[in-house]
Amino acid sequence: MDNPAPPHPPDTRHRLRLAGALELSPSIEKHPVTIHERYGHFINGELVPGQGDESFATVNPATGATLAQVAAAGQADVDAAVAAARKAHDEVWSKLSGLERGKYLFRIARRLQERSREFSVLETIDNGKPIRETRDVDLPLAAAHFFYYAGWADKLSYATRGAPPRSLGVAAQVIPWNFPMLMLAWKIAPALATGNTVVLKPAETTPLSAMLFAELLQEVELPPGVVNIVNGAGATGNLVVSHPGVNKVAFTGSTEVGRAIMRTIAGAGKRATMELGGKGANIIYADAALDQAVEGCVDGIFFNQGHVCCAGSRLLLEESIAEDFIARLKRRVETLRVGDPLDKNTDVGAINSQGQLRTIERYLEIGREEGATVWQGGACEPPGSGYFVRPTILTGVQQSDTVVREEIFGPVLACLTFRTPDEAIAKANDSEYGLACGVWSEKTSKVFRTAHALNCGVVWANGYNLFDPSSPFGGVRHSGFGREGGIAGLWPYLEA
Amino acid sequence: MRLTVEKTFKLYVGGQFIRSESGRVLRVRSREGSSVNVCSASRKDFRDAMDLARKAQPGWAARTGYNRGQILYRLAEMLESRARALPTEADDVTQAIDRAVHHAGWSDKITALLSSLNPVASAHVNYSMLRPLGVVVAAPDVADGLTGMVEALCAATVMGNTVHLFVPATLGELAAALSEALATCDMPGGVVNVMTADVPELLGWANHHDDLDGIYVARAAVSAETLAGIEREAARVMRRVIVVAGAAAPASPQVLEHLAEVKTVWMSS
Repeated sequence: MDNPAPPHPPDTRHRLRLAGALELSPSIEKHPVTIHERYGHFINGELVPGQGDESFATVNPATGATLAQVAAAGQADVDAAVAAARKAHDEVWSKLSGLERGKYLFRIARRLQERSREFSVLETIDNGKPIRETRDVDLPLAAAHFFYYAGWADKLSYATRGAPPRSLGVAAQVIPWNFPMLMLAWKIAPALATGNTVVLKPAETTPLSAMLFAELLQEVELPPGVVNIVNGAGATGNLVVSHPGVNKVAFTGSTEVGRAIMRTIAGAGKRATMELGGKGANIIYADAALDQAVEGCVDGIFFNQGHVCCAGSRLLLEESIAEDFIARLKRRVETLRVGDPLDKNTDVGAINSQGQLRTIERYLEIGREEGATVWQGGACEPPGSGYFVRPTILTGVQQSDTVVREEIFGPVLACLTFRTPDEAIAKANDSEYGLACGVWSEKTSKVFRTAHALNCGVVWANGYNLFDPSSPFGGVRHSGFGREGGIAGLWPYLEA
Repeated sequence: MRLTVEKTFKLYVGGQFIRSESGRVLRVRSREGSSVNVCSASRKDFRDAMDLARKAQPGWAARTGYNRGQILYRLAEMLESRARALPTEADDVTQAIDRAVHHAGWSDKITALLSSLNPVASAHVNYSMLRPLGVVVAAPDVADGLTGMVEALCAATVMGNTVHLFVPATLGELAAALSEALATCDMPGGVVNVMTADVPELLGWANHHDDLDGIYVARAAVSAETLAGIEREAARVMRRVIVVAGAAAPASPQVLEHLAEVKTVWMSS
């Protein structure tokens, strides 16, 4: 007997035809921020031009236009920064009372709040992420992080559970381009609260907000040398982490670079924290609140153009709802506005660099070759200039596919299905990475059981991509080790 | 004149006393000065032991802290009952027994001490708890004798890990005595495997095994060069390397934390 056709074919049931309905309006935001032509480094409390001749350009990824030339630090610059940090640690910062150290951090937090708009605009111009995210997420969280660790500075003996809290010395910190200010805060705040001093290297595609932060540090009169910032690419990063005057290495970035850093510092007796890549699974059970879960998927993979180490890039759907769920998700993704990051209505901004754009495009090509169906949404055509990728959903993929195993670091979601909770857990854990996962169900016992069985550092139940300074964040296995945030975020900066 | 009946000291793997599959036996001097034979573990022995330790790990971690504490205390009881027969200094024996008692007490407390309920600025119940690393290789310092071995195995197992203890053949007699206590203290098979071996060589093989989660090594157990090599190779799979000063003092909560992972859960409310 023939089955009757369903009354609504599932792929058209939720269709909204929005393309063309939402024209991009040009940004009306005035830029209350000055971008200098040239930037150097911040060493011993001074903004200095840099001792070598090498420099590089930082561009606005939404237009491709050059914003500024930035000096690339060589050995002499890094030596000066480490020497300044050592002197500041031994003579000033480690001798200051915890309360006084904390008061400097409180000052930093306050000024960040007060200058938040300026930082948000600069971050959006240099990074390409929507102003809505820098304004509502990156900057408020960065200020909150300084506020949180400020309060720990005079209470460290409670955090060490009995051991006398002793700083390590000079911390070399290398941060990525996806959350420049937030990662700066995650690194600098706990290091300073625990009495360490810092040599920080921002990512070469997003150096500008860190240099504005240097001006802020002068404003709050932080003692010279407590925080030093050197600009440059991988070569500079290597000089910083391998410097013999450094006691601690903290890195956020790709697993590949993290591995290279760990090999470089092997045998040197340096403490390390590694926040590396991920391939987060977002598990949706049939008894989840489906429309909320759709929002969670959007937050999980299209937030920050998918440039998030803990992004929910693998969607695991219970088989009975898979078709319906993907239809709902596509309908929602068709409403996402891709375009000018300075437009307050933009949902998906620019890909941070041409290099990253090529990486994402290469993965989409691999996906097609391996048999994936590639679907791209968005409410409008992306602008003609700059680096943009429309929010993308891959179906017809399996566990062994490259696009399911490897981190793409872009707005690309791979969809898979499962039948039982055990299968969902097994598939989620079948990854070299172990940073973060999501689980969606209205049944509490199932949520607890799944959350505790997932082999990763962070689990969001009925949510995704939530961050808080009081909540430890970090991964297991190839996603790295050490935690940032919370009490556990203090431990990597104190003698064990 | 009577000829002595010689015993070959075996490896203790998966709750069984076994010879090395390689057939390798080393002849070393016993504490009394006579010669004894000690089995020397091979790469294949380690691979087999790895399977057993991996299988044993979830069950061990799933036991209650109360139960794991009682088993570690039972180890102290078994060591005390054979204290005079243990081939090491009397001080080493008493320190090792007391160390087992110390760690037995952590099993149902360390999680409460190092976990946190995080006051996040949203409507979530946000908590961070400890979960084990998984399977760990431990190489204690020979100079720490029985105390070094007991410290390493207790620190690893009290955090819910299963552990391979790597001991040089020169301590084979003592390692075998410890294994006999482990075999009779209600510790499930595979939770602690004691392997006498050329330690730097076996550490090298272990470090190539992608399923191993962590390496716990006393600073003096290997040369600085070997340690650097271990750290370099471990980076390939971001394996945790926990370097400890030695066994003079029991592991602090901070060191125990390095034998675990902090896991954070955002529970919707």
